[in-house]
Amino acid sequence: MSDAALSVLTNIGMISFVGLSAWVLLTVGCVSFGQQAFFGLGAYTAGIATVVWQLPLALALPLGAAIGAGAAAVLGLATLRLHGLYFSIATFAFAELCRIGIELFRYRTTRDGQPVGPDGVEGFGDIRAVFEAGLQPVDQLMLVWFLLTAAVAVLIGLERTRHGIRARMVGEDSVAAALHGVDVARVKLAAAALAGALAGLGGGLYAHLTTYIEPRLFDAMLGVHALAYGLIGGLGTAIGPVLGAVLDIGLLESTRIFVGTRMIVFGGLVAVLIILRPRGILDEALVRRSACLFRRHADARPRHG
Amino acid sequence: MSLLVDFVQTTLDGSMAGSAYALLALGFTLMFGVMRRLNLSFGAALMLGAYVAAWLHLNAGLGALPVAILTVAVATLAGVYIERLCFAPLRGRDAVASLVSSFAVWMQLEELATLMLPRHTNAFPGLMDGDPLLIGPFQLRPDQLAMLAIAVALMAVVWLGLRRTRAGLALRVLADQPGAAIAVGIDIRTTALLTFAVASALGGLAAFLILAGDRQVTPMFGMWATMKGLIAMMLGGLGSLPGAVAGGLLLGVIEAHAQLRLGPQARDLIAYGLLFVCLVWRPGGLFGQTLVDTEATARARL
Repeated sequence: MSDAALSVLTNIGMISFVGLSAWVLLTVGCVSFGQQAFFGLGAYTAGIATVVWQLPLALALPLGAAIGAGAAAVLGLATLRLHGLYFSIATFAFAELCRIGIELFRYRTTRDGQPVGPDGVEGFGDIRAVFEAGLQPVDQLMLVWFLLTAAVAVLIGLERTRHGIRARMVGEDSVAAALHGVDVARVKLAAAALAGALAGLGGGLYAHLTTYIEPRLFDAMLGVHALAYGLIGGLGTAIGPVLGAVLDIGLLESTRIFVGTRMIVFGGLVAVLIILRPRGILDEALVRRSACLFRRHADARPRHG
Repeated sequence: MSLLVDFVQTTLDGSMAGSAYALLALGFTLMFGVMRRLNLSFGAALMLGAYVAAWLHLNAGLGALPVAILTVAVATLAGVYIERLCFAPLRGRDAVASLVSSFAVWMQLEELATLMLPRHTNAFPGLMDGDPLLIGPFQLRPDQLAMLAIAVALMAVVWLGLRRTRAGLALRVLADQPGAAIAVGIDIRTTALLTFAVASALGGLAAFLILAGDRQVTPMFGMWATMKGLIAMMLGGLGSLPGAVAGGLLLGVIEAHAQLRLGPQARDLIAYGLLFVCLVWRPGGLFGQTLVDTEATARARL
């Protein structure tokens, strides 16, 4: 595989984490425009952990995820009682606050005679832990996609548990769910924390595989793309947002056909798709139908035998 | 004494900028009132209008008046396009569908504009030149005074239009009682389209006034206009017309003071912080609390 293809695939994997993060909140009926904040917080935390504190990568990535989850839980506590549009705008305001906060954030130390660490708007470079460990592009790709597959598998597994069913109930109709004894606030808070952790983990990977991050990367456009990935790919399964990212980054950004007009095509695609398939390509109905196909073969014998 | 003069001068400057915010918020509120939906690509529509006008200003040497007309016309067309693509087909669906869809169109319009004029700053014709007027110890820029006057006049026109015309009546019925509007035979499709056209024309004029004051237009304008209008509207209270005006003025004054004392980054930080605190603490803003309370009561009863 060529280097360009490798880097596109790695990029899709990393950005899929933000998409997955927005998707988790979408399944409980919350539309967040602010998941890029946790991606950014995770990226900066993990970067500071390896560069400034000299921690190993295996510790830095979970730390980024933990900070993402913590920040998301705090935001969740403040905003989850807000409804619909109010919640969306509050998350957006929070993300912009985070971005400007990172612009003002300086935390410099000296390592090997060189000043390193976050430097406000100048960004945060030389996050080299992955390269010092000698990971080749193929290894990086494997790392990203291994973690992404694990995350998607966990989310699909969750759907079959009590917690997953509660989350779907809240997403479908929070009043009806409350009437069935579901603690709506707790479900939403748990979803927010999980979403924050996913974004934080993705951010940590992003910081280390690109070695340079700056506040501008975590602006509203990233958040909206993340949200759109779930809505294009489908809300029925956690594979949805990954499919959305593949379509956008893989088809539009990487092929040469749409140079300069990517946003026009992508924007139109999203607008038309929302009219035609309100819950994305892989929506709940399609997922249920395909699940039935498999189950019919598996269940047929015991039931009739 | 000079401290007081400084304070009043900053407040005056702030309320001039705030009158532009108020116009943007007014456009937002009109659309929200009728549709109960947020049109995030509002700023991008205004930006496209300004870019088309700036392109012709650059290539055909258009003056201030044709540029103003063109900005308003293209912004209105873009507003109609947005309504047809993002709002009309999604009527009766979840509010977020339109929200995301309008954000997608934002990207379209913005890219279209930057394809036309790829440079970061583009010249925009000014409204008028002239030395600042001196009134006592205070300085007032004539173009900003003109902006304030036009903004006040426009608000009066909108107010009268809503109260005195048939279309305004239809719009108010649709905003207050959508069910009743259908029952008495109000054409929802036309009224919604008209609302978007009027709101976008209003925004287009606001955009022209703001950009004529700056003498330039940058690709950041779409985002900027959406954000300022949104914050002003939320501060004033979602769905309230007097709230939109008050919120705009308040935002302008607060920003002017923050910028003077703490610098531009702190100004943005304070603007977003204000929005966040307002949403969490008092989602109804200055004038919209009854609407929020009604909805909350309705949910509690369910």
